[in-house]
Amino acid sequence: MKKVIEVKNLVKQYGKINAVDGISFDVSQGEVFGLLGENGAGKSTTLEIIEGLRKSTGGSVKILGLDIKKNKNEIKTKIGVQLQSSAYYNFLKLKEIVSLFCSFYGSCLDPIALLDTVGLKEKANSYVMNLSGGQKQRFSIVASLVNDPEIVFLDEPTTGLDPLARRNLWHLISDIKSKGKTVILTTHYMEEAEALCDRVAIMEKGKILALDDTHKLIEQSKNPFTISFITEKKKLNEKIFGQVIKLGEIENLFGKQNHFILHLKTREALNKALVLVQKLNPESIKVGEASLEDLFIDLTGKTISE
Amino acid sequence: MFKNLFFADVKMMFRNYQSIIWAFMFPIIFSFIFGLFFGKDATSGTIAIINESSSDISGQYVTALKDSGIFKIVEDESVDQAKEDIKKSKLVGAIEIPKEFGEMPQAPLVIPEQKLKIIIDPGNAQGNSAMTGFTDKFFSSLNMNFQNVKPIFTYETEKTTNLDLGYYDFVLAGILGLAVMNSSIIGISVAMTKYREDKILKRITTTPLPTWIFIISEVLSRLIINVLQILAILAIGVYVFSANIYGNIFMVILVALVGALLFQLMGFAIAAFSKTTDAAQGMATAITIPMMFLAGVFFPIDSLPAWVASIVKYLPLAPLLRILRAVALEGNSPFIDMKNVAIVLGWIVAMLAISIWKFRLTDE
Repeated sequence: MKKVIEVKNLVKQYGKINAVDGISFDVSQGEVFGLLGENGAGKSTTLEIIEGLRKSTGGSVKILGLDIKKNKNEIKTKIGVQLQSSAYYNFLKLKEIVSLFCSFYGSCLDPIALLDTVGLKEKANSYVMNLSGGQKQRFSIVASLVNDPEIVFLDEPTTGLDPLARRNLWHLISDIKSKGKTVILTTHYMEEAEALCDRVAIMEKGKILALDDTHKLIEQSKNPFTISFITEKKKLNEKIFGQVIKLGEIENLFGKQNHFILHLKTREALNKALVLVQKLNPESIKVGEASLEDLFIDLTGKTISE
Repeated sequence: MFKNLFFADVKMMFRNYQSIIWAFMFPIIFSFIFGLFFGKDATSGTIAIINESSSDISGQYVTALKDSGIFKIVEDESVDQAKEDIKKSKLVGAIEIPKEFGEMPQAPLVIPEQKLKIIIDPGNAQGNSAMTGFTDKFFSSLNMNFQNVKPIFTYETEKTTNLDLGYYDFVLAGILGLAVMNSSIIGISVAMTKYREDKILKRITTTPLPTWIFIISEVLSRLIINVLQILAILAIGVYVFSANIYGNIFMVILVALVGALLFQLMGFAIAAFSKTTDAAQGMATAITIPMMFLAGVFFPIDSLPAWVASIVKYLPLAPLLRILRAVALEGNSPFIDMKNVAIVLGWIVAMLAISIWKFRLTDE
């Protein structure tokens, strides 16, 4: 696969703090690449350096083979950028904003057709302030597509949206991918990265802690397998339960006395545990895989917070 | 690229009608207020005349006072009533003419002293001097007529210009400068910081649009508003309050627009130093309000203590107003005093330098 983004030893210093601390990664054509991490991990700063909005302190960035420091203007014509919580003009209608941004690139797509691709055709004559949160985000994504870019940058595209609107946006992003565009996005939603990204880099304090195909990352987790089960409230067979605990790490689901999650290292342990848990006569039993979130907790020792 | 942006900017400006209304209201309100005080129908206030005499002289005096148009006059009040009304500031003053005033004895060997009474409010210096001044002038010619003497010491007035100019004309030109200053400084500095807060500026830098096109488009679209402002102010001044504008209207607009450009650059400089919209608003107000009073919009700078005047005459609005008045009121060329032109250009260069140096669309 052709590499469309090559980042080498990228450093960004603010005073004595390294907001981005010597990271390297490549993004291949046509993939969805995710930068995952908490607020302040350096995701947005990394993205904005790649987009040419900030100057790096060290390292190099190449986009489509062009050096970001030397060919900024040429690169700008080939990328589309959606900024984190960026507003648009208050007193222009959606179709007017789209055609205005089109004009910045010299060539114009049909604004109405473009709005139609994100289900905003009916809102073509509305102002941004009259849109819902989800519609705003969809508009801000479509505004980054006006120049038919090869690479699309999405900075926390779903932050603050309700679950339905978020799912809506996931479809939109997979549509963009299906058109052969490369997407690089930041998020702090694990399930979003799992659902959308072909590859994920987990960032923490300006460094990349892990980077791989999403499913391979999850398999790297300390305990790739889980059994979630609910026992009868009245009595628990202490003897069997004691044997279960020895097989892996048991976790009591938040405040629910009888709901457990058992984290297991191997398939062998999984099989043994399944037999034992059955003997507890559970009301419910569910076998699962570790999630990106589990990996994140393994790597950083904490849960991700918004 | 530029054309689309420019039309979009103009469209936005007009759609943001609330802000347009206020950009127009402020100078228009000033034009009206000063017009009501000092326009063609303005008087020094109302006085009461209590005329108990039926003599020719008292009659002539009252007629002359009415014809002068200095005051509005009421004649149906009693002395006590008038005094009450003066205390309540309903009247500027009153003139009481006693019954025997102006009655000439048949055989005028000795004419007794004739006195009328001017009742004044010590707080109203302007009204008082107008009443006493008029009466003095009327009586001295009367006295000389009676005593059959010709005045020896007299004076004549010579105007430096043959143009009929009043205080309202002076203020109206000041309001023109005030309007372009306020709308340009506040307009640009607030709009730019708002755009920065909303990340619109940042979003624009992700596109290939050159920064200079963005700025030129902002500046030019605002100049259109300025032209409309200037026309509105001049229309009110000339058609409602009969202000005198002797200069070429296009030249007046052109000079005002040069001022608008200077103040827009100042707006960019303010936006460069303000992190938030509120900060920009505060800084813009802190600059425009003192300038409004110190740069000679309403009062000539010369009324200030000499050392203050020698400083404030270099404020950007001051030379602009001098040029504007020379052009609008006297029909002179804007280049009649090159010193003013030099100060304005100096400010433009300085503000341009600060804006280029400090104003950025993004954080870096």
